[in-house]
Amino acid sequence: MTTPAETTLDMRGLRLHLPGAARPVLAGIDLTVAERETVALVGESGSGKSLTSRSVLRLLPPGATTEGVIAVQGEDVLAMNAKRLRHLRTHTAAMIFQDPRAAINPLRRVGDFLTESLRLNADLSDDTAAERAARMLDAVGLGERVLGQYPGQLSGGMLQRVMIASALMGDPALILADEPTTALDVTTQAEVVGLLDDLRERFGTGLLFVTHDLGLAAAISDRVYVMYAGRIAETGPAQAMFERPRHPYTAALLRSTPRLATPQGRLAAIKGQPPSLREELTGCPFAARCAFTTPVCTEELPPHVPVRSEPTRLVACHHSDELADQLAESALHD
Amino acid sequence: MTDTTGAGPEPAGGGTVLEVTGLHRAFGSVQAVHDVSFSLARGGSLGIVGESGSGKTTTARIVVGLERADAGRVMVCGRDRSGQPGRGRTQRLERAREVQMVFQDPFLSLDPRVSVGNVLREALRLHFPETRVDHARRVGELLDQVGLGSREAAALPRQLSGGQRQRVAIARALAVKPAVLVLDEAVAALDVSVQAQILNLLADIRRDTGIGYLFITHDLGVVRCVTDDVVVMRHGRVVEAGPTADVLADPRHAYTRLLLDSVPRPGWNPKHIAAARRAL
Repeated sequence: MTTPAETTLDMRGLRLHLPGAARPVLAGIDLTVAERETVALVGESGSGKSLTSRSVLRLLPPGATTEGVIAVQGEDVLAMNAKRLRHLRTHTAAMIFQDPRAAINPLRRVGDFLTESLRLNADLSDDTAAERAARMLDAVGLGERVLGQYPGQLSGGMLQRVMIASALMGDPALILADEPTTALDVTTQAEVVGLLDDLRERFGTGLLFVTHDLGLAAAISDRVYVMYAGRIAETGPAQAMFERPRHPYTAALLRSTPRLATPQGRLAAIKGQPPSLREELTGCPFAARCAFTTPVCTEELPPHVPVRSEPTRLVACHHSDELADQLAESALHD
Repeated sequence: MTDTTGAGPEPAGGGTVLEVTGLHRAFGSVQAVHDVSFSLARGGSLGIVGESGSGKTTTARIVVGLERADAGRVMVCGRDRSGQPGRGRTQRLERAREVQMVFQDPFLSLDPRVSVGNVLREALRLHFPETRVDHARRVGELLDQVGLGSREAAALPRQLSGGQRQRVAIARALAVKPAVLVLDEAVAALDVSVQAQILNLLADIRRDTGIGYLFITHDLGVVRCVTDDVVVMRHGRVVEAGPTADVLADPRHAYTRLLLDSVPRPGWNPKHIAAARRAL
């Protein structure tokens, strides 16, 4: 769980600026993923969660400038030359995207797609690469037959398994999964998540799971980071965080999610919208929408402080301690 | 047409605004909808739940009139909609006034070059040409009803957030005072906090106007939140139906149980679900 054997991903103080934005899109992200660990990165659109995960492969938007360190197995991604970067993307870290149909060439057979990267970058013979592709397809529960099929002949769930197999081709230490099940049906989602979990255990891979679904994050991860407007609002072990959220944003998200246990009626919606990138922010980024805002919230940026008697949890809220009991009422119960 | 809270056309047949009986629809050899029946009470909210390929969207499109049924009947406010649609403009407009639809992605259903105010004015001009003088006031009322102001009225769709665009789509649907609003995954693409705002808005509108909702969704949490009754569809057929609270608390069909178990929560076991899915 949180006693990392070896830190696979160690991101420190990552800041990312985009041209035309009034504030950094990522404003100092500290995030780690250990070997065999599942870490969920939760947030709404525009929070920066996808940018955070993509920056691990240095897949940055045009014109982006960065500060900070993204160490994958000890090597800083932001300082890599082209050759090292190619090695990282082929062998060390792999990404699974939300929409498998947008991430695969519909005119090429699945077998070509799976072996392409290894054939080009790892000097593997075609036969060895094809053999590995068949093994990986087997690991994700698909038969060898799929090698000769085209993406259009596969269902969304099968295609996402192909994407997972392709992520495993280079035997990566880290898998970055960006909403990998959002486009899938709920029963298919369960299957894909179960599969990812199996493979993580079997291959010792670290998994960074980006999602907007708090229930899913709670269900699958060891630790969770909640992001808001380019910052980490709160982080800690999944169970403790969803049982006793300590940031008003985490609590508000939990309350506004329609759940099976909540009866019919109005939800506790969060008023307003996330701040636009054209606005500069002083103080806490959530202050404008928070129900507990006081003058200090709009004046001073809250630092990340450990939660009392729970040193593995960090929260960035001026009033976290005094609000603890109120926020706990939003807990995610079974 | 001056009241702002009217429920639209008076239903002729008592407490039911929408009655669907024995719908069938095949696409080639695929039976997309097979013997589907349900009814929606006046001012009620009915959810249709299912996964891709369950036939829920085809059913909704038949109700709206975007798709025709091979067999079966759709009655709205006691009038039969399932026959050959009238070719005349008057008849088509009349049908459109009974049932309106809100889609998942409002960006695709709004013209990018038309401002929000003009979207609504266009709908009013089309359906109520005789009361043109009132349109400006009615636009204001509609915007107010969905929580938008004059600033948004002047905006183009791309200048609005996803939640605001969905509010515009809802306002446009409400403009003709339909008896039934069909919402096809209308909150699925929204962020949790915005989704909650829209779900609350929909609850308020139903309370204030007595409009009926046919809510197509894959999200059981949303179903629990906004519907009175629910129909569970699988492979084109209805596998279970009943009051939402009962169906979700005590599902009778194995598929409904599987759907419920598939909702991620703490202590969730995806491998059990995968096994149950294969067994079904």
